Amino acid sequence: MSTTPTMRSRLKLNRPSLRKLARPPKQRTALGAAFTAANLPVALALQHCRDCGSVQYPPRELCRQCLGDSLVWRSTPGSGRMLSRVELHHSLWEYFKRRLQEKPWPVASVRLDCGVIVFAHLALETFAGAANPSLAADTPVQVFTHTDCSLNAVLIAVAAGTPIESRGERRAIAAGLGLLEPAIKPEGI
Amino acid sequence: MKDYAGIALTTPVSFGYAKQSPHGAAWFIGSTLRQLLAKSGLGPDDIDGLAVSSFSLGADSAITLTQHFQLSPRWIEQLPYGGASGILALRRAARAIQAGDAGIIACIGGDGATHRAFESIAANFSNFTIDSSFPYGAGGPNAAFAMITQRYMDEFGARLEDFGAISVAQRYNANHYPAALLSHKTLSLEQYMAARPIASPLHLLDCVMPCAGGEGFLMMSEERARSLGLDWCRILAADELHNAHRDDDIQLRGGWTEYADGLWNRAGLGPTEIDMLQTYDDYPVISMLQMEDLGFCAKGEAPGWVAGTDLRFDGSGPQARKLPHNTSGGQLSVGQAGAAAGYLGVVESLRQLTGSAGGNQVERARHAMVSGFGMINYDRGLCSAAAILARSER
Repeated sequence: MSTTPTMRSRLKLNRPSLRKLARPPKQRTALGAAFTAANLPVALALQHCRDCGSVQYPPRELCRQCLGDSLVWRSTPGSGRMLSRVELHHSLWEYFKRRLQEKPWPVASVRLDCGVIVFAHLALETFAGAANPSLAADTPVQVFTHTDCSLNAVLIAVAAGTPIESRGERRAIAAGLGLLEPAIKPEGI
Repeated sequence: MKDYAGIALTTPVSFGYAKQSPHGAAWFIGSTLRQLLAKSGLGPDDIDGLAVSSFSLGADSAITLTQHFQLSPRWIEQLPYGGASGILALRRAARAIQAGDAGIIACIGGDGATHRAFESIAANFSNFTIDSSFPYGAGGPNAAFAMITQRYMDEFGARLEDFGAISVAQRYNANHYPAALLSHKTLSLEQYMAARPIASPLHLLDCVMPCAGGEGFLMMSEERARSLGLDWCRILAADELHNAHRDDDIQLRGGWTEYADGLWNRAGLGPTEIDMLQTYDDYPVISMLQMEDLGFCAKGEAPGWVAGTDLRFDGSGPQARKLPHNTSGGQLSVGQAGAAAGYLGVVESLRQLTGSAGGNQVERARHAMVSGFGMINYDRGLCSAAAILARSER
């Protein structure tokens, strides 16, 4: 049996994206959209329970502690400590595939002081020894949100003490990660 | 907990593993059912219970499949529990038979792998995934497991070589199990260490290969199995616990810690009396968590324990302590056929305990432990399950 037709169809089916512009995943649930909306005016907004005060993440319909139906979005301090981190070398999503051709994509999991665990894009250059930072568990970090070029709020983790009070500072960090521009394939369509 | 006396687990079937397939989940589930019937000599109307697990049924479900296959079960169950599905199906089916709700139950996990199907499963896995993990770039659970692996290495000093020992031994087993998708490739520790990075510290050979396939078995009373002339095995003990240790920072233990003692007590056995262990191995670190939490070694000691244990099916390794582990190669070498992967350990144990394994048969195997782990909803796997099975003389 010749393998040629099989190989040809496989190449065809697995062909790389021809799109000129690739953006981060756009899909969110209604609660994810609410997360984006709540985070537009502030550095970090999370759901708080008006009954028991506990903070929620990922976005939820009801309070995870008391099942109360009184969650409100509130500006929340982003201080926390790193639990673990990963450098992605592979992704299923075209935007990340293209970014990964330049360098691995770092992601952190962080336990915020308000109690929740978040996954966040990790801005490695904000850490001391940026070329090869020591990022052991318990490293203090801060987390904030910024709107990516798919118009969704995403979380970004930086070293504790990094200035992120102003919108411009936060924007510069998000831009440095490449989140504000689509990944471009010049010959794409 | 009531015991599982009188229940027979029989007719192991693994069907149609393929890296990609144009067929849908119903084709794999139905083909597995066809083989279950052919192997047991039963007809479709003898099956009065159906338990199904699949990620790729789309708009279909266990009940719509009954019309696909023209079955009329009086007991039906759909178990969307990923890697714990097989053991959960086994537990529920056993109770249904004990209660008289059904006589013969087919338990089947099956999934297709059409072009880019895995991408869509990963992108739409759950609401938490959609909002809070998929947008951060990882394909499927790679990121969550890389983080667990990294923390495990930081905390307990584990090295990549330690994880590699599991993968290499499993590949040896797969080299003797022709149905494994990677059966034709040998694997050395050097090759393992040289694999390309996927989600550091995980590299290619730490991540299962998504594929298509089906796994299934039949459950019935021991009298029924005897009268049908089928080989079977018994369930000595089984348990499950979900979303355990929910306040842990990161998943370095699973629900097994909470019921392992009871499991051993009910089975009347200890870890040294287990002749083979089938863990859920979507990534090697999770096999280590299972070895620790189920009592084969203490927390954090799995790297040393693995290094001192021969995990090959035939005991041909140099170590003195022998414990055949993932004797068909596990998912790391067989492939992860969606929810069928949750049945793989049960089906492989059943083949081994009924002496029908073939080239990778474990000699004189009497007791097997199977463990399941499933559903990375966000940062950790939610389902844990384990069962101890025993060979039965007809």
